[in-house]
Amino acid sequence: MSEPRLFGLVGRFASADSLTDAARQLRSLGYREVEAYTPYPIDGLDEVLRPRRRTWLPLLMFIGAVFGAVWGYFIQAWDEVLNYPINVGGRPHNSWPAFVVGTFEFMVLCAIAAGFFGLLASCRLPRLYHPIFAADDFDRASVDRFFLCVGARDPSFDPRRIRRLFERHGAERVSEVVA
Amino acid sequence: MTVIDLPPEAPIVEPGVDLRSVSATVADRVLQPKAPRWWWIGFGLSLTLLMVLVVAVFWLFLNGIGVWGVGIPVAWGFAIAEYVWWIALASGGTIVSALFYLTRSPWRSATNRIAESMLLAAAACAGLMPILHLGRPGLFYWLFPYSTVMGVWPQVRSPLWWDFICLLCYILMSIMFYYTGLLPDVATVRDLAQHRRKQIFYGILALGWRGTARHWRNQQVVYYIMCAIMAPMVISVHSVVGLDFAGGLTPGWHSTQFPPYFFFGAVISGVALVIMLTIVVRHGYAFENVITGYHLNAMAKVMLVGSIMLGYSYLWEGWGSIYGSDIAERTMFMDRIFGFYAPAYWVKLVLNILVPQLLWLPVVRRSELLLFLISGGIIVGMWLERYIIVIQSLHRNYMPSYWGTFYPTLWDWATLAGSIGLFLTIFFLILRLLPIVSIAEVREIIAKGGSK
Repeated sequence: MSEPRLFGLVGRFASADSLTDAARQLRSLGYREVEAYTPYPIDGLDEVLRPRRRTWLPLLMFIGAVFGAVWGYFIQAWDEVLNYPINVGGRPHNSWPAFVVGTFEFMVLCAIAAGFFGLLASCRLPRLYHPIFAADDFDRASVDRFFLCVGARDPSFDPRRIRRLFERHGAERVSEVVA
Repeated sequence: MTVIDLPPEAPIVEPGVDLRSVSATVADRVLQPKAPRWWWIGFGLSLTLLMVLVVAVFWLFLNGIGVWGVGIPVAWGFAIAEYVWWIALASGGTIVSALFYLTRSPWRSATNRIAESMLLAAAACAGLMPILHLGRPGLFYWLFPYSTVMGVWPQVRSPLWWDFICLLCYILMSIMFYYTGLLPDVATVRDLAQHRRKQIFYGILALGWRGTARHWRNQQVVYYIMCAIMAPMVISVHSVVGLDFAGGLTPGWHSTQFPPYFFFGAVISGVALVIMLTIVVRHGYAFENVITGYHLNAMAKVMLVGSIMLGYSYLWEGWGSIYGSDIAERTMFMDRIFGFYAPAYWVKLVLNILVPQLLWLPVVRRSELLLFLISGGIIVGMWLERYIIVIQSLHRNYMPSYWGTFYPTLWDWATLAGSIGLFLTIFFLILRLLPIVSIAEVREIIAKGGSK
């Protein structure tokens, strides 16, 4: 068995505001390996932790939509024009207005699928084990408490300094997490 | 079920509900070792009806669709009417969930999961109906546009094919949409579970959701865009169902108003079913302080708007037939209001248009009993509407020599009862296994002070 390695220092907060303040100060002190765990989305928290990092998910969904539209139209046109052409009431084989519905449906299906799987990928899910789950009281992170964790990998990681900072911002409890 | 006191500044969530209590209350309904008695009674009834469906489908597959009342000229019977009915009920779930997310109406948060669960259950019933209606149900996969060795391709210019693609995409998209919203809530259930087996079960379902700032932000972005896609998507689904009919040359079907007409029907019937299920869940699971009179009042207003829109369509349906120059169309309409199926027509008018006007009165919107009855009436009325559109139109076609009457058989009714059983079975299972209120969104409302 290998030595238990320190994963990080976790502070438990009772309110979203004190967590956001603590996170902001940690960032301004130069910490980079900071992560927050909250029971509901908090506006602007991600920008505090990772400023100027934009999410690529809307773009991915847009690409999914374009891909779906092209694919959907291609399937129908290939079917009706090239592979199995049938003359229906003298209409042209490539009767595009009749293909609009199918194209639309494939477009939105691919956009939603891109969003869904993109969401999982960007969140690095599924990942059933994570060291943070071993933190004290972490089951409350999805209920009524706000957790802030500074990773031990951070170059300026200093447990005593971080602990003081957490406590100054009203952390109810500060504990170490081992990986 | 009494009249709810609802002052104008009533909160969405009752005061006294905090982050822990809402999480614990909702998760407890899933985690409690024994389901309540009413759940067992409801689930037992649902299973019984499901058995009826199993027998009816078995008999159908053994003998062919001749066991139903369909024939010539009325070749589309209950199965198609019920297909439209179920898909309308499903669409209402998406409307409550996606459309009102886009309008930033926080009241949807406590009811959207009920609506989405209803959607999945109703979509399953809707998907089953056309397959049963096929003479050779085993060959339904011929509709898939894939390169087969048979050398046969579906005719993609047909509204029937569009409809198949719409329904297929709709079900797949609804599952992904549902799961995106569900993820944080299953994580809450996982964290509150005490027993090892439940922790593992919900742990796997939650996929390791940790609620980091990054998780939340991505989830919010994706969910918002998904709603923006699902809202027009659901309009397209039910409009295309309308095109199935508008594309046919039958009098009473061949009308340009069908796509919006069908969508209005989806609004009213879907919201009616959400209201009924919400009232059941609210009392059955004792969610009175999370799902408040505010929610029912808001949905009742949506239902009233749906009723008015539907009335507008009914008006034009009649006016177009009378004012138009097509004799067959006029004959069909006169038969619709005075003929063999006229009682169904007038009952649907009363149930869908007349009775819902009571919702103008605030006291009716606050009485759960009246809301439940009106909603139930609308669901019956919408079934009658589909029955009229499908069957009455076909029984008065252009040629008098092509007139005939449809009489449902026992197996028609058994399939109807059975599909209700399938719906309720799925819904009751979701009720038992997954959180039925969006916990994370209600937490957000509480954090913002329960404001509107």
